[in-house]
Amino acid sequence: MAIINQATKELQVKIVYYGPAMGGKTTNLVKVHENLQTAQEKGKLVSLATSSDRTLFFDFLPIEAVAIKGFKTKFQLYTVPGQVIYNTTRQLVLRGVDGIVFVADSQYEKMQENVESFANLEDNLRTLKMNLGDIPYVLQYNKRDLPTIAPVEYMEFLLNNRDVQVPSFSASASKCDGVFETLNMITRMLLHKFINESGRKSA
Amino acid sequence: MATLPQLIEEDIRQFDSALNDLLTKSEATSALIMDKGGFLITQCGEVRRFDFTTLGALAAAMYAATQGIASLVNEVNFSSVYQQGENFSLLVHNVDEHCLLVVIFRAQISVGAVKFYALNTISDVARQLQAAQARTPGEGFDLSVLNIADTADLFRKKQA
Repeated sequence: MAIINQATKELQVKIVYYGPAMGGKTTNLVKVHENLQTAQEKGKLVSLATSSDRTLFFDFLPIEAVAIKGFKTKFQLYTVPGQVIYNTTRQLVLRGVDGIVFVADSQYEKMQENVESFANLEDNLRTLKMNLGDIPYVLQYNKRDLPTIAPVEYMEFLLNNRDVQVPSFSASASKCDGVFETLNMITRMLLHKFINESGRKSA
Repeated sequence: MATLPQLIEEDIRQFDSALNDLLTKSEATSALIMDKGGFLITQCGEVRRFDFTTLGALAAAMYAATQGIASLVNEVNFSSVYQQGENFSLLVHNVDEHCLLVVIFRAQISVGAVKFYALNTISDVARQLQAAQARTPGEGFDLSVLNIADTADLFRKKQA
């Protein structure tokens, strides 16, 4: 859960990129790291990956947003390993998550994996006594630049068909298209949530 | 899910005092208090020598993985993790439900001594966290003063 440190005037928030294997979660972080305007503080991108560049534990990128009314907002971006066998690791990374970006692979043949990964996310949150309905999340339909992709409407039907629809973005993470739009939306949703909760507490 | 209380200057001052006491007695190089989710709460000692943001995130993940191993061998909890290096060693110790203490010390220093002094630090930190938890929630910083309109583009992409 987010940390509010009044001594240092900091709000620290954890965002996890979740989704099926080879869907582009790590690429999202790499592109954020490469393309973030230099004026903003960004840390080192750490990848705990296998020799074949598949995420083994997680990728980690700390970034700092411009101060809002004197309050520094630090975002820690994590990815989870997509492969099915690393489920325990995914649970570890989800611990204390504040917001989620679900990165789906737009290729037709990956639809089943997308749906399974989404169900796996819900299962893992339940294990951690959390509920997807309480956590801000957005969907990213990645790899829109590839030839054999499913229509966005179909992906919406498969993945964004719950009681409350969430924002979704078409993206080609390898070209950095849609990457910042996704990140800015989840950060905005998170800050809204904190402000609303803070308002309720003080009411 | 239970979470850390809002921390005010008094809390951080108490944490820093406990950490500095530990560094003096144990001759360790640096000490940090971490949230188990990977957030750095405060750090003391040689703070420029290491990248604490990354170190904290990795140490929290390592500790979490160790807890997974503990449950596999029917242990409720491994309370600490020790990594021995050639120049520096690392001790990660549980503080309470939410927090960890991370100590970096020169490899020549005995881990037993660091652990011994760390136990006092842990009880000091845990006590302060309880005090913070018990504080009236109304005293916390009101986030509604943040201007949400400013968040439209928190992160900007470099122009090509």
